[in-house]
Parts: sequence; structure tokens; C-alpha cells
Amino acid sequence: MTSGPLRGSYCQEFLITNQNTDGGWGYHPASPSAVETTAWGLAALISSRPAPPPAEVCARARDWLLQAQRTDGSWPPFPGLPQGCWATSVASQALHLQGGAQHAVERGLHWLLQAWPAEGTVWQRLRQALFPSHVVGQDPSLRGWNWTPGTASWVEPTAHALLFLRSLPPPMLPPQAAKRRQLAERMLFDRMCPGGGWNSGNPLVYGVAGVPRLGPTAWALLALRGYAERAEIQRSLGWLEGAYHTIHGPASLALAHRCMTAYGRRVPPLAPALDELYSRNRFFENVLTIAWVMLALNEEGSGAAPAAGEAASR
Amino acid sequence: MSYAQASLMPPFMRPPSRVAIVRSGSYDRDLGALLFEALREFDLPVSGKKVLLKPNFVEPDPEGVINTHPAVVGAAREAFLRLGAQSVRVAEGPAHERDTEGIVETIRLRDFLGPLRDVFVDLNLDEVHAVNLRTRASKLKQIYLPRTALEADYIVSLPKLKTHHWAGVTLSLKNMFGIVPGCCYGWPKNVLHWAGISPSILDINSTVRPDFAIVDGIIGMEGNGPIQGSPKPSGVLILGDDPVAVDATGARVMGLAPERIDYLAKAGVLLGHLRPEKIRQLGESVASVRTPFAVLPTFQKLVAANGK
Repeated sequence: MTSGPLRGSYCQEFLITNQNTDGGWGYHPASPSAVETTAWGLAALISSRPAPPPAEVCARARDWLLQAQRTDGSWPPFPGLPQGCWATSVASQALHLQGGAQHAVERGLHWLLQAWPAEGTVWQRLRQALFPSHVVGQDPSLRGWNWTPGTASWVEPTAHALLFLRSLPPPMLPPQAAKRRQLAERMLFDRMCPGGGWNSGNPLVYGVAGVPRLGPTAWALLALRGYAERAEIQRSLGWLEGAYHTIHGPASLALAHRCMTAYGRRVPPLAPALDELYSRNRFFENVLTIAWVMLALNEEGSGAAPAAGEAASR
Repeated sequence: MSYAQASLMPPFMRPPSRVAIVRSGSYDRDLGALLFEALREFDLPVSGKKVLLKPNFVEPDPEGVINTHPAVVGAAREAFLRLGAQSVRVAEGPAHERDTEGIVETIRLRDFLGPLRDVFVDLNLDEVHAVNLRTRASKLKQIYLPRTALEADYIVSLPKLKTHHWAGVTLSLKNMFGIVPGCCYGWPKNVLHWAGISPSILDINSTVRPDFAIVDGIIGMEGNGPIQGSPKPSGVLILGDDPVAVDATGARVMGLAPERIDYLAKAGVLLGHLRPEKIRQLGESVASVRTPFAVLPTFQKLVAANGK
């Protein structure tokens, strides 16, 4: 460890200090609580080693997530917004990790398994069959999950949903979960950029290969850990390894580090690089970034490096 | 004009717009002084106002081709402060990349703005409020928008002069997609694509219409923009008090016909002036700086006849 500020203990203190009175976290201190940030904040605190956070802090975050769940089992980005969204995966996963919210997790799972992206509608499939698109090079029959209802599958929300499904013990998973999981994994492979890695989800536009990006690549690789031997995975890890030293953002660095560690790749110690980045903008006090950094630091410290939420049942 | 003051009016009721074209062959010039002098011509009502600069930051591209060059952003900030603005913040919500800090650090924004913590706002993660859209071009009707954009007194769209593989061109109107928050709609903000890119551009700009626009055309992008096109040195900054007129002028500089660009043609009905006779041209003439941009085959129909 370095003498700089970026350690798990700093992140833990930051999260505890900046927890809203309602129990959630906003994207920045004192901003309205958001589902995604609260879920990641809770997941990060649960990962704390060696000193766990006060149980009260996690319990309040859990309670906030429970009251933010919609009646259909989904979570919106913020309470009061009219639709569930990708945050359902991360909220369900955080509650599963925390425990004591089995029913809410099951309802979240049920909503996710019923939630199909828009490209899967009969109308969309008919249109695609009649007027196949030559603009984007991807198979629209392979569907994952979208950011928001009524839109198409994208890499990151699909990865979040897969990570959640993988975190659950098999008895919790209904029969259709295996089919959704398989379809979504195929979709991720289909959306991989030709040279390895992923962007948000357009690997080819007008025949031109898309440029991979750190975040989507890290999330997709974490979601596809069961396929470590496949050439696509190795190629993507190679891209990530090459891009690692160009990272200028703490969120990307934390994700890339988690991913490389999860695959057993050698990466430089995290804290010195984070200290340097922190000195620039203090991460803009971005709570989500702090949570991801905390997860990466804790996983590095433990040497185990599971992706957050991946239960031993994997 | 920002959220509270946005108004829609047909061209015959709208006074002529003013657009200036300023030559600058590189980003190494004193762009702050250049922009200050150009902006003084407009006698802008920014004294004591909270000004928000909305650049186009898309990807962590260190080459300065994809994103509005930080030198232009820094120069605009300096110029508006010299014009008496109470504060000038820079705000963006990148469409594809969640790590906004990674983008602004890669492009060295700090070198041009100084410490960013009190100056830069990530619109993707800002506090949001529900807003009823003022037009119904798309099916959206209502959208969540960031507080920083809604509370600004004066909004300046600061795009790059680029082609766009879905919309034809991306200039100051398309640039306003960046105020739609990722924390509500994801990365990309795919809801805008499903609602229709052109209708969404119209609805967003009718609701949060930029008061002013400055297009970074010093080095633009042609071909398969907005990310994978080729650098196109054009050597101009295009600025004006009507984003539609600025975009129309930008398109003409690119050798494209603005009335053939779907969203621009429609924007000319209620949001600003498209026709050259309604645009008072300051600085250089369009003809003197015209630099035809290569376009994808699907957008060949946008190319102006006789290159004019």
C-alpha cells in the first residue's frame, strides 16, 4: 500500500459519511438517492475487508432499496420514475449479497426474465426479415437486456443481468433463466468488436469495425468468465491488457483492474495509480466511482477477486 | 435561450439571425482573444448571468478530432467571463462512455480550464427533473433533464463540425443530445434513437434551446463521423445567436444543403432561420471558407448542387 489516500478504508469512510439520511446514495454527496449508486455502494461495503462497515449502514441501504422497488419487481433509476430499468440487475444483486430480502430478489429476477428488448418484438423481427439492415453488422435475433424498456439490447445492461443470474444459487433460477442466459451470452459474443473487446454494442457500422472501450469490455468479460478459454475472450483480454496503461479515468481503471484480476492477469498495484488520478479531480466526488474503486481495492487485497455478487454457488 | 425562456416562432415572426465565421488555422492561436472580439459584435446579454458551455465530448480521443477541442472550450470560457458572465461552467453527458472523467483527462481539459472540480459538470450524473417537451415531434412528450442545464441563464452549444452516420451532420442542435442524462436513459441514450433521432433533436432543442452556438471547425471530421471519420482541417469557428442558422451555415461550409438535412429542415420551421437571406453574415463569407466534406454514400443526397 502507498501513503496516498486511496485505500478501501478511505472509500468506506466516504460512503458512510455520504450516505443520505434516507439510507441511499446519490451520484454525488447530498444529491438525491439513486438506485444504481445505492446498489453499488451497498455491494462495495459488503465487500469490505478486513473491517466490515457498521451493520446499520448496510441495513439502511437495503431498506432504501426495498422501498424503491416497484410493484412489478423492477427498479427505476430514481424513485418515482415511471419505468424499471437496468438498475434492477444491480439492485437485485446487492440485495442478494446483503441477505434478508429474498422475496424482493425473486421479484427482481422475475421482472428481468420477463423483460425483453425492443428488437425482439414481432414487428421488429418482421421488419428485419423484410428489410434486413446492412448498416450494423449484428444478429438481431440474439437478445440480451436493454438500458430502459422499449429500446434495444446493449452490452453493459446485458452483462449486469448475466452477473446477477450467475450470482444466484441454481435452485432460485426458474427454467427460463437458462435460456435467457444462453441467448444473452451469445448476444455478447456477437457484439464483440472484430479485433476483440466491446464498445457499447455496435461492433460494425457501415462495415467499419467499432473501437472497443474499457468499460463495456470489462463488464462483458466479467459476465463471460465461464468462457475463459475461448479465443474471443483471450483476444479481448489482450486488448484490455494493451489499453490498461492508457487509462485516465478512475472508474475505468477500477473496472479494468477487477477484470484483469478476475482472469488472473498480472496488473500493477492499484493504489498508486488511483492516488495519482485522485489528485487530479478527487474523482469529482462521484459516489459510483468510489464504490467501484472500493470493490477493486478490496478484491485486490483479498487476492480472490470475484466480481461483486458472484456467490460461491457459481 | 435556456429552458425557462425557450420560444417557438415561425420564420416570418423571427428577426434575422446573426452568424459569424472566423478563420483560425490552428488551436495554438490566442483563441480566447479571437472569440472575445467576435462575441463583442453580438452584444450578448450575458453580464451577471450563469453561462453554461455544452461541448461535444464523445470518446477519450487524445487527437482532438472527435471532441470539441479543449482549446476552444477554454477560449469560450475566457471570452464569456470577459463579457461579464457571473459564472461559466462546462457541462457534458457523453453518449457512449460512462467514464466522463476519463474523457476529460484524456483530452487534457484541465490544461485549458484549470482545476475542473468547480467548473465541469457531468450531466449524465446530475440531479434530474421531469420536463414536458414543448413540441411533439417525437413520441417522448416528457423527459428527465439535468438541473444544471435547466437552471442555466444562458446556454452555449459548442459542437464539432462533423458528419454523422445516422443524422447526416452533428452540429449545435444534435449536440444537445448530451444534456439527456445517462443516469436515466443509459449509455447510449437509446431512447432517443427509438423515438427517432430527428424528432428527438427537435423536441430537445424546442425545450432547451441554446442561446448561442460556437462550432469548432478548426479541424472537423468527414466521412463516417461522428467517431470513425477522417480529420478535416477547415480552419473556421462558426458562431451565432441562432443555433439553426449556425448549423445551416456549418452545413454550407461543409458543402451540404441544410434544407436536405431532415432535422435541420424541420428546425427551420419553428426553431430558427435556415434560409441565407434571413441570416446576417458577419466575418468571412461561406463561399470563402467552404471546404466540401466527404459523406457516406447514404448521405450523398445532402451534397449541395454545384458545391454551393
